[in-house]
Amino acid sequence: MDEEPERAKRWEGGYERTWEILKEDESGSLKATVEEILFQAKRKRVFESHGQVRLGMMRHLYVVIDTSRTMEDQDLKPNRLTSTLKLVEYFVEEYFDQNPISQVGIITTKNKRAEKLTDLAGNPKKHIDALKKAKDSTCGGEPSLYNSLSLAMQTLKHMPGHSSREVLIIFSSLTTCDPANIYELVKTLKALKIRVSVIGLSAEVRVCTVLTRETGGSYHVILDESHFRELLSFHVKPPPATSSSECSLIRMGFPQHTIASLSDQDAKPSFSQAHLDSTSGGPGLSMGGYFCPQCQAKYTELPVECKVCGLTLVSAPHLARSFHHLFPLEAFQEDRLELLHRKRFCEACQGELKDKSVFTCPSCSSVFCVECDLFIHDTLHCCPSCIHSRSAP
Amino acid sequence: MASEDEVSLLVIVVDVNPIWWGQQANREPQFTLSKCLDAVMVMGNSHLVMTRTNKLAIIASHCQESHFLYPCKLWKSGDGHGDDNASTSGDGKYELLSVANELIAEEIKNLMSRTEVKGNQTDTLLAGSLAKALCYIHRVAKELEAGQEMKSRILVIKAAEDCALQYMNFMNVIFAAQKQNILIDACVLDSDSGLLQQACDITGGLYLKIPQKSALAQYLLWVFLPDSDQRSQLVLPPPVHVDYRAACFCHRNLIEIGYVCSVCLSIFCNFSPICTTCETAFKIPLPQVVKSKKKKLKAST
Repeated sequence: MDEEPERAKRWEGGYERTWEILKEDESGSLKATVEEILFQAKRKRVFESHGQVRLGMMRHLYVVIDTSRTMEDQDLKPNRLTSTLKLVEYFVEEYFDQNPISQVGIITTKNKRAEKLTDLAGNPKKHIDALKKAKDSTCGGEPSLYNSLSLAMQTLKHMPGHSSREVLIIFSSLTTCDPANIYELVKTLKALKIRVSVIGLSAEVRVCTVLTRETGGSYHVILDESHFRELLSFHVKPPPATSSSECSLIRMGFPQHTIASLSDQDAKPSFSQAHLDSTSGGPGLSMGGYFCPQCQAKYTELPVECKVCGLTLVSAPHLARSFHHLFPLEAFQEDRLELLHRKRFCEACQGELKDKSVFTCPSCSSVFCVECDLFIHDTLHCCPSCIHSRSAP
Repeated sequence: MASEDEVSLLVIVVDVNPIWWGQQANREPQFTLSKCLDAVMVMGNSHLVMTRTNKLAIIASHCQESHFLYPCKLWKSGDGHGDDNASTSGDGKYELLSVANELIAEEIKNLMSRTEVKGNQTDTLLAGSLAKALCYIHRVAKELEAGQEMKSRILVIKAAEDCALQYMNFMNVIFAAQKQNILIDACVLDSDSGLLQQACDITGGLYLKIPQKSALAQYLLWVFLPDSDQRSQLVLPPPVHVDYRAACFCHRNLIEIGYVCSVCLSIFCNFSPICTTCETAFKIPLPQVVKSKKKKLKAST
């Protein structure tokens, strides 16, 4: 059954002597080593460039959260469940920031059953409200991988072929209670091209290793809360698309935002489709909004899928948010400060270059400091000097 | 009133496109670049005297580079105490302001005299200036003392027309500003700019096209000087209607319903079997072929 050799376990290999990293200098102080470690920690976010690989931009992701008895452990403060829910809220916000036309759904599993917390939707508010309410729920029983995966599968198998179907499981228990053979389910998932990734909170579990290896996902176990946050951030970026995903032209509508005021003659207040279904208070009448170009149904926010005619409604900036994935920025070269005598100022922020390394853009050879390099790669996604040369992408 | 712990940083990006200003000097001799910079200096001085902890930066956006007019790189700190050569102004003006004004005037003269416009580079590099402004704001935010909070905003004074080539860089800058909660305000002198309208709408800033250019200082002080907390209590110009429709890649027409390639997200107005940007062949949905077995059975009986 094993096609590739598994990684050597730690008890099989030699010891790793972590204390050897710390080296004292001649006066006996550790300051230089500590600064080096802090500097490396700043640069730790590995910039992986996928190069010319096609990315799956429209993603349908289910997040499965284990709410079994082990989530009451207090090794993550205040307990695993609260910490996980807070981090998943942060993940949902980042996810919609980087993938505006994708959808997310949340499933929880406990007492050998799985239930859907929220359906697949493109609006972050619903998910965040549901996650906040879930903080009060109790944990108990054992989780069920089989049930949660089959629940996710029921919806994902009907999704169109051009979107990437993913499941992210946050698994804290070391056991799972399944009604049928899970390896059969793994085969079915593989056939439906659903990619399953797991983040373990306790230890590595063999069934998760097999599950992620067969479906092409990744499996990591967290060390502490900041590592947990980092692992979640890996899943925010769009993954490379599988070779079998279809490419198609998707029909979308771009509605205009009409702002009508009471002084206009034709202005009529109307309900939006979202308010007709929601149970929250308030009259829900508003003057302006987005009208679907095909059926004239009204919505207050985008992106949304029109309930009447099924057309996906987006606005042009939503698509523009994903462009930086298609044209990623190259990593800058790191050099030592002493080699560049002439330049004393960072070209982006005009500050003095004080750190021991500076970063040079390979296309325009401008020099940046450490902070600007991080800011440019994480948030700005374009080199400030290169865009002065006016080359259109 | 802002407490001692709140720092408000205003970055003014001035469009100093020499071609537009040169033509402007012919059209309306009473409103030239120097008058515009006078108004900017008044705005900058007013911002600095509103609260002691306010900070200011001014960037000139040219056709070939963006240059920081204020603060000067040679100063160690943001305040101008290290400058021994500055002549104290004779009229009793606050020294920070007089030094700032002289510096701005000096730097803009140097900038305009040393750069030459070559050939086809006639567009203002606004996206680049905004990117530098964001990096500067990021650095100042990191250098704050513990317990201080900072609110920043960027005011763009735009003269020349938009450059369509900068669309993608501009959108990257706008999303970065929105993520950092930085407002982008726009004061447009001549022709409406769709990019700046989108920027103001997405980040929550104000967009205003000035009806009379010679009253620039008045508009700047009335509309753009108050910061975001105070704006809710003022009656300010109403938001403009922003056209968020996308333009199709084949004809550049604005469309309401279009087809989007799932690989490269390019927008087309008509269905075509191949995407022109990424050259992917699409699956064309064919109608289902009805199997005719049942009909044959009926015919044989």
